[in-house]
Amino acid sequence: MAGPERTTKKLAQRIDLNYFKRPHPFRRWRFWLSVAAPLVAILWLTWYGVAGNNRVYSGGRLSSAHAVLAAKCDACHMKTVSSFSAKASDQACLSCHDGPMHHDNQTFTPNCASCHEEHQGRMRLAATADASCTQCHANLRTVGAPTKFTRDIENFGSRHPEFAALRPGAVDPGTIKLNHAVHLKKNLKGPNGEPVQLDCDDCHRPPTSAQPLRFGSATGTPVAIAQKSDLPIAISARAYMAPVTYVKHCVACHGLQFDKRFTESVPHDTPQVIHTFLIQKFQQYVAAHPAELREPGPDRTLPQKPVPVAVRVVTRDQWVAERVSESEELLWRKACKQCHALSIPGDGELPTVAKSNITTRWMPHADFNHERHQMLKCTECHAGALTSHETADILLPGIATCEKCHHSGADGAESRCFECHTYHDWTKEKEVKGRLTLTRLAE
Amino acid sequence: MRIDHTHRKWFAASLIIFGVATAVYVPYAAHSPSGLRGGSAIGLTFGIVGSAFMVFSGLLAARKKVPVWRLGRAQAWMRGHLWLGLLSLPIIFFHAGFRFGGPLTSVLMWLVIVVVASGVFGAALQHYLPHTMTVQVPGETIFEQIDHVREHLVTEADRLVAAVAGASEPAQAGSREGFALAAQTGVAVEDGTAPLRSFYEREMRPFLASRGKRHQLLSDGDRAHSAFEGLRTLLPAEIHETTKKLEAICEEERQLRRQSLLHQWLHGWLMLHIPLSFGLLLLGCVHAITALRY
Repeated sequence: MAGPERTTKKLAQRIDLNYFKRPHPFRRWRFWLSVAAPLVAILWLTWYGVAGNNRVYSGGRLSSAHAVLAAKCDACHMKTVSSFSAKASDQACLSCHDGPMHHDNQTFTPNCASCHEEHQGRMRLAATADASCTQCHANLRTVGAPTKFTRDIENFGSRHPEFAALRPGAVDPGTIKLNHAVHLKKNLKGPNGEPVQLDCDDCHRPPTSAQPLRFGSATGTPVAIAQKSDLPIAISARAYMAPVTYVKHCVACHGLQFDKRFTESVPHDTPQVIHTFLIQKFQQYVAAHPAELREPGPDRTLPQKPVPVAVRVVTRDQWVAERVSESEELLWRKACKQCHALSIPGDGELPTVAKSNITTRWMPHADFNHERHQMLKCTECHAGALTSHETADILLPGIATCEKCHHSGADGAESRCFECHTYHDWTKEKEVKGRLTLTRLAE
Repeated sequence: MRIDHTHRKWFAASLIIFGVATAVYVPYAAHSPSGLRGGSAIGLTFGIVGSAFMVFSGLLAARKKVPVWRLGRAQAWMRGHLWLGLLSLPIIFFHAGFRFGGPLTSVLMWLVIVVVASGVFGAALQHYLPHTMTVQVPGETIFEQIDHVREHLVTEADRLVAAVAGASEPAQAGSREGFALAAQTGVAVEDGTAPLRSFYEREMRPFLASRGKRHQLLSDGDRAHSAFEGLRTLLPAEIHETTKKLEAICEEERQLRRQSLLHQWLHGWLMLHIPLSFGLLLLGCVHAITALRY
């Protein structure tokens, strides 16, 4: 809509030829903002530097266990002399806590940070990724002797073998004859002859259980199963069940009476001890009851033909020997044999009792915690107990039972390797002398 | 710069680079315990490549400052700036393993996101707005001279009105030329031009002097045309030509306003993009040094 005055010349004459000498506010603002932005960045870093705080350079929040060291970068990032780099070395980790080797015949030892990755926020450092384990166990090689372990495990749900105790050919090595099905049936004869129904926890309890046994003796002092060297030291005292013992769990129903003259039982001990006990008992008895040495013979009186009863007189030693022999016959061939595997050589020799071989821990290469699973009924996992008649039956749940809950996905319980397996052999843990002070931590 | 067929090779190359980077990243991250770390060999490679892309993108400003150096064509530099700058975002994400990390690295990640996002936004504007400006602002002038041209328009309008209706009060009050006009013309104000004076003082001069105020009658072309048509019905025929010239001046003012607005859109994003990119490059250097150390 330009009028006749809008010639190119007229338009050009409107322009101030020196305009380029004066920067437009737009350009000025852009220039000064471009100076201000890096300046703000430098001031920000300088502020942290003046405060002596290196957290600005941190790669992320530390785990809960190391949160107290958040401002102490040099606690882990130790700089060696004449070196630019100050990476967190294994030496820094080991200066506070040990990390024993996994196996002597492993082909390499990964450094601490490759599995326990820090600066990932408030997470458990021990919750390592499966890849930390499968870097070896997906294609397992060893130094020296070949390994007996499965060589290609991907994760719990893929290529993880069945638990060793349940593989084909595996049997319970225990020699104690126990029929779970009988013990769990209804109307079982109780200690006083009354019908009872046993529950799993009438025999199987963690060592620190304080509840009295229904059909046993008093609980007494709990036995710490952590004394066993093959058990992980850090495991909870309620993780595993205490071994079943005769004196706590069996004695109420399975007494070891040996003679009607005595109400007490023989001690639950070796045949030699029992033999000595019997001799002592009968010797004490006959000393107090010398009339027992005269044993009346059997009454052979016939109708209308009285026969005088013969009296047999024996010496004390003879009497004791005969009574001991009778008692031992009862014990070896009935009472003890009911549960134990005995080999009786004959000729008056004492029998040999096979070692009980009760397995206290079925999976020595994995950790399990009963306390964490206490909301489940025992027979949900140990379903075989209800129908097991043989000692050789292994009543452990198989991997399929565990996978019902422990599987990958949002609806599964933890199924990564660390949940059950430990890399560090804590039985070889070495003590570490602490080097930090509270003052240093609070600085 | 328009993103047209001349960008095809850059687009293809960028796609290939992105594909290769993804093909390297995905399996490595899947097999790395806890994901890929920036300090690993591959993570470090991604970091170096991403930084190189960002540094190259930043060098565009230097290339523009020294055109005599002739280090490649400016258009090639601009295409490289666009495509390599865009690629730097996924490459840096691969380097970081899609984690933000600590304070410095979090700031850097946000800076990368904002700089690239503002760059994409600016590239889109630079693609569409120039054509829009050509169509909507045929009377385009030098942006820095818009205010100066506006002053000329005001003076010209004052002169036109003074010539037929005497110097308007705002003209007299507002400029020495207004006083001179009033003295020069000494035109006897006829009653027939009163509507023109009234319209000029009430609507047109405030419109010309307001520099972008909205909701004015003359800021809309159709309403302005209707207003002038209505004005002409009130005025003698001999001054209709003057009203047409005034209408042309209003149209020119509207175009200047339009040009100013489009220019602000076209270049305003640079207020964010350029300063933040300088901050990004500086903090990136600091991060590179400290990360290599620790």
